[in-house]
Amino acid sequence: MIQVSGLHKRFGAVHAVNGVSFTAPNARVTGLLGPNGAGKTTTLRMLYAVMRPDEGSIQVDDVDAVRAPQTAQSHLGVLPDGFGLYPRLTAREHIRYYGQLHGIGGKALDERAAELITLLDMQEIADRRTGGFSHGERTKVAIARALVHDPANVLLDEPTNGLDVMSTRAVRVIIRRLRDQGRTVLFSSHVMQEVSALCDSIVVIAGGRVVANGTPDELRAQSGHENLEDVFVALTGQEVHR
Amino acid sequence: MNGARILVVMRKELRDSFRDRRALFSIFFSAIFFPIVITLMMNRVADRARDADHVVIPVVGAENAPALVNWLQQQYGVTIVPGPSDPEAAVRDKKVDVVLVIPKDFAERFKASKAAQVRVVSDSSRTVSEPVVSRVRGLVAAYGGQIGGLRLIARGVSPSIASAVQIQNIEVSSAQQRAATILNFIPLMLMIAAFSGGMQIATDSTAGERERGSLEPLLVNPVPRSIFVGGKWLAATVAAMLSVCLTTALSVAQLHLIPLEDLGIRFGLGPNEVIGMLAAILPLCPLTAAIQLYVGTYARSFKEAQSYMGVLISMLMLPALLSSLYPIADRPWMYPAPIVGQYLLLTAFLGGRSPGWLEFSLSAGSAIVISLLLVRLTTRLFQNERIIFGR
Repeated sequence: MIQVSGLHKRFGAVHAVNGVSFTAPNARVTGLLGPNGAGKTTTLRMLYAVMRPDEGSIQVDDVDAVRAPQTAQSHLGVLPDGFGLYPRLTAREHIRYYGQLHGIGGKALDERAAELITLLDMQEIADRRTGGFSHGERTKVAIARALVHDPANVLLDEPTNGLDVMSTRAVRVIIRRLRDQGRTVLFSSHVMQEVSALCDSIVVIAGGRVVANGTPDELRAQSGHENLEDVFVALTGQEVHR
Repeated sequence: MNGARILVVMRKELRDSFRDRRALFSIFFSAIFFPIVITLMMNRVADRARDADHVVIPVVGAENAPALVNWLQQQYGVTIVPGPSDPEAAVRDKKVDVVLVIPKDFAERFKASKAAQVRVVSDSSRTVSEPVVSRVRGLVAAYGGQIGGLRLIARGVSPSIASAVQIQNIEVSSAQQRAATILNFIPLMLMIAAFSGGMQIATDSTAGERERGSLEPLLVNPVPRSIFVGGKWLAATVAAMLSVCLTTALSVAQLHLIPLEDLGIRFGLGPNEVIGMLAAILPLCPLTAAIQLYVGTYARSFKEAQSYMGVLISMLMLPALLSSLYPIADRPWMYPAPIVGQYLLLTAFLGGRSPGWLEFSLSAGSAIVISLLLVRLTTRLFQNERIIFGR
């Protein structure tokens, strides 16, 4: 479970995140929806503790992520914006490197890597260098790498961005499976369809603030629009053009 | 746990680099390039030294002093050939190293026991022709001395009366020290190896890591930033040390193939000297790695990092350059200065002296202290959001 309250982050004069609060419960997919530049990535970066919030608190399970960032990180699996793979390492070497950084080693690591490779259906590419991988294949490597330590919470920043239909479906299957295993899944997107297809609850962010929060049905009821896309435009429209 | 993870990071960086052609090039470049340069340069010098033993002297106006020319011809290794019509132009155009010109009035003045003149035409800006020119000067002076002595004896005067002061040359530098001045570029070479060996790893694992976007996911792992910096530093250090060892091994092997005896050099680079030189230069590797890591982290891009590296590598030339301009005796306080200390230790070894423990510890100790300091500063940069996410 992830609980965020009163999060603020400023970059010089820009107030990128301006008092964001929400809860992402266990065994649920929570979507962080917002237009480009709304503060989604900055919010996620503070959640996975590579940025320090100016104000506010973050709880990852029972851990205060602001005070104990590394402990929080060991409860998190993260797919950041842009996967950042090493082109000269193989898929398996990526998984193993992150596993070792999490303190996994020996036979346990071998087994875990093999398990993830099977789970993500990447047996054929497992021992090839990632330099020539397609976007979909790179996504799989990055996801496998993020899950190597079996985290209870999974954060994904725009996971389906730029993926073709088949790869998008594969990622959706993975996200649902993670939820069904009882994990907290929080992912960000600026694509309405993505969020409506996957999310149990949605947090709409615009201009660094939470403008709406609830299940898709609740959001429809709140805004009075039937179509989720209209809901999105109604909630964020003015902020986008500000 | 943290120690093990430093090694995890180091192993990953090394594995990554060993698959990178640019990194391999930066490690093996000096090991391959410098022995070739040594061979070419030393062979050239050796050839020239041999040349001085066997000189061909173009003489203009040989008919004016047949006795002198005859005497020259009898000297060991001397061949007399007719000189060019325009001696000055021939020397200037590098057609010949030296021309001996005997003027028409030579015989007349010689008979009258006046100082008879000969002209040695040479170009002093050409260092390569210097051995030949000084051989010719020496020969002519020796002839003059002999004749002068004979004339004095003929007049019943001892020749030693004419030489009120006699110079006796006593060379204090050992043969190895003279060799060291020729082999002056070996310290420079080893320092370039220490610098270039880790350069690619240090840049690729900092500026490169950020540029390809792999830094952010890396930092999501629950590992202190100091572990990442430490591992990357060790990887660059290992690469630099590897480069230094390879360069040393290949250069020493190469030196044994060069006819150093022709230069009048007894150059004993035995196992002790090689170990001493490695002990002198290896502590520079962690320092160069730490400098590169800091610069690579600070630079906004890979390109920017590389241009800083170019400036840094030219700083390695400074001690060698300065010591050739201002020949300074080494003092203990100079040893802790990075690069200068290593330079002094290496020149000492090449000159056949063994520096003391104090000099070694001062130079190695300060290099390690400064590199640890730089690693800490780099760790601080790694904690800076503006550095991590670019400016």
